[in-house]
Amino acid sequence: MTRIDRRTFIRKSLKTALAASAAGCLPALELLPLPACARETPPLAVRKGAEVPLLVRETVAALGGMDRFVRPGDIVVVKPNIGWDRTVELAANTHPEVVKTLVQLCLEAGAKFVRIFDRSCNDERRCYTRSGIRDAIEKIRSDRVSLEYMNSRFYKELEIRGGQTFDRWEFYLPAIEADRFINVPIAKHHSISRLTLGMKNLMGVIGGNRGRLHYNIAESLADIASVIHSDLTVIDATRILVANGPQGGRLQDVRSPETLIASPDIVAADAYAATLFDLKPQDIPSVVAAARRGLGVMNLSEVRMV
Amino acid sequence: MKQSRWTYARCLSQIFCLAVFLWLFLQTEYRGIDQLPYPVSLLFRIDPLAALADFLAPGSFGWKLLWPALVVLLLTVLFGRFFCGWICPLGTTLDGLGKLVGRGRRAYSPSWRRVKYYLLIAMGTATVCGVQLLGLFDPLAIFLRSLTLAVYPAYNYGLNRVFDFFYKHEVPLLSSAVKGSYPLFRDYLMAFYQPIFALSFFTLLVFLAIVLLERVEQRFWCKNICPLGGLLGLCSRYALLQRTPQALCADCQVCDSRCRSGAVRGSGHIRSECLLCMDCTGFCPDERVSFGVKASLAGAPGVDLQRRGVLTAMASGIMIAPVVRIGPVTHEQNPYLIRPPGAVHEEEFLQRCVRCAECMKVCIGRALQPALLEAGPVGLWTPLVVPRIGYCEYNCTLCGQVCPTGAIAPLKLPEKQKNVIGLAVIKKDRCLPYAKGVECLVCEEHCPTGEKAIILEEKDILVDGQLRRVKFPKVVDRLCIGCGICETKCPVEGASAVRIINEGESRRKRSALLSTPYG
Repeated sequence: MTRIDRRTFIRKSLKTALAASAAGCLPALELLPLPACARETPPLAVRKGAEVPLLVRETVAALGGMDRFVRPGDIVVVKPNIGWDRTVELAANTHPEVVKTLVQLCLEAGAKFVRIFDRSCNDERRCYTRSGIRDAIEKIRSDRVSLEYMNSRFYKELEIRGGQTFDRWEFYLPAIEADRFINVPIAKHHSISRLTLGMKNLMGVIGGNRGRLHYNIAESLADIASVIHSDLTVIDATRILVANGPQGGRLQDVRSPETLIASPDIVAADAYAATLFDLKPQDIPSVVAAARRGLGVMNLSEVRMV
Repeated sequence: MKQSRWTYARCLSQIFCLAVFLWLFLQTEYRGIDQLPYPVSLLFRIDPLAALADFLAPGSFGWKLLWPALVVLLLTVLFGRFFCGWICPLGTTLDGLGKLVGRGRRAYSPSWRRVKYYLLIAMGTATVCGVQLLGLFDPLAIFLRSLTLAVYPAYNYGLNRVFDFFYKHEVPLLSSAVKGSYPLFRDYLMAFYQPIFALSFFTLLVFLAIVLLERVEQRFWCKNICPLGGLLGLCSRYALLQRTPQALCADCQVCDSRCRSGAVRGSGHIRSECLLCMDCTGFCPDERVSFGVKASLAGAPGVDLQRRGVLTAMASGIMIAPVVRIGPVTHEQNPYLIRPPGAVHEEEFLQRCVRCAECMKVCIGRALQPALLEAGPVGLWTPLVVPRIGYCEYNCTLCGQVCPTGAIAPLKLPEKQKNVIGLAVIKKDRCLPYAKGVECLVCEEHCPTGEKAIILEEKDILVDGQLRRVKFPKVVDRLCIGCGICETKCPVEGASAVRIINEGESRRKRSALLSTPYG
């Protein structure tokens, strides 16, 4: 063994320490939020149909099939809206058949594991059950799928680079760390954000006092969307809620456009969904904020309809 | 110590009953089915004290729920205090913990035995006069209350910290096994949400005090204080199940020192005091002792009550009622005294509620909290809705399903959704749009009534010298049912900017106006 003298030892230790701390400065070593990049002309698929599973398959096929979004071996998160203790016909939660078919498509594309969760507003157990999503997922009968209650131990505070209203917030790590994130909101009326669509649905994977986001909802949602990248957004407009949203509870507030909107661009999907409510994309403040920040395209003429 | 087969049978029965009650306790939770599949409040349906409270309360007796309590009373008349020795979970707990805390062997004066009868008589008389305090001393209520409010939350807290540790630190082999078992624990063996109760510590102290009485004398509580023991004792004076030999044997006298309830005397076997633990069939050196059914009414040593004591007890019971009632009416004084949906009118509620804490255990949203003084001097441990801690879930009817005495009526879902427990009031000095000119709608967003009871009205206001259009939340009184989700979810830190008060609750007696201020 080579002997080193004290001086060499100190010099070498200092060098090593310097190298290590220099490496620590590299931004690459931090857990970086995935930047949501806007494509030049994002594709957008809109389909109509009464039979939900078929409708889902047609819409995803129009975008080139699930293979374009999910690769074999991927861990996929499917994030529906399961926020409320309401049954299917009241249009407060994503349609269970939409969720089920999307999960099946992921499995068919070779996903290693598909996780489904939402941080609900009412009691989670009631929401998961009464939304019909628990039953629908159980019917898939696959050990590669799980509808999970969110585990409070997995929230982590992350920095929001370029955040306009928040520079950090708690995010649910399984949603961030998944290989693919598929965002499956239901289109609904909402008094402050006008509508709750894809971007609002992302609030289901963050922790903390979510009520505080409402002080400046448009910029806050854009902040969140800049951290959580949706690889695919599928907006369930098979039934929509036109008043008393987002919780609903009255059948007379429900309409049935029997439509599904899908796009890899969350802003484009939200922008199109606004038209179902006789609104323009620029009427939805969060869409405007996100487009301005380059999170997606809101001008529907710049979108490639497929 | 030699133990007879009877002693084993008794121990088995105690353990079995305790296990059943603990299992039912764990089932007192929403597990995906709206209607609870098991009679989880069985413990109080067999409780003669709960039946007594129900019987003396205004309104009709709840035969359908409480018939098992009458069966217990009938069996006690036939067989004596078997309930105390074989079934009572508090008795079992004391027997089990006695060894742990150390058991006193002091022989207390037998006159202490009278205390439980006097307590029962005083409480009973007070109940007749309209102030029901039986629940405070009911051993079954004490047992379940301590379990719900103190032991179970602590158990959950401890387990959660263990899981936290293994989630945070990767311990080889152990971590994955512990993490893998978490869903099982969460779904079957733990509460879904960590229970939080205001009176946990106080309730635990009361429970510990009763346990520590074991250091004075074995089963001190059961022999001397328990009013349920007193009631069962009164019923079992002429019980048919009798001991042979009845009195102490002249040549042995071992029963005098060994009998845990001091029920064997020179004068005979005191059936009102005998807990039927059956130990004497084992420790008798000559195996002389046996129990058998005999129908002889003669010569039964009676309950050792004195006329003066009984009269004093009755007088104090009679005194309690007016003294309590001359105070200000609490539910009119305290606007935040909110009762669960289906609760009967406050006066009747206080007489029916036995403070068993079943409703607080089952409450899905942690809305129900035990009262200390919020419900007046006699409202201790009665359930309050405290919306800042938790709200009343719109589609849930669980508390009415578990209440054993009809203090909370079991409502069908459509009735429950119309049952008004309070009214939301917006505090304009705290509510963001009013106080700061900032938009916020969390209360409106969460409002569960189909046609929302909180609406937003747009108004132009001056903010920092600039005209701005802001949406202001407003409560529609005729639609609000007081579920409190707005108060729970209000994002303002500290006290909520919207609070529920008990104005306009359905259970209030109102004159039949054609249109009330509440619509």
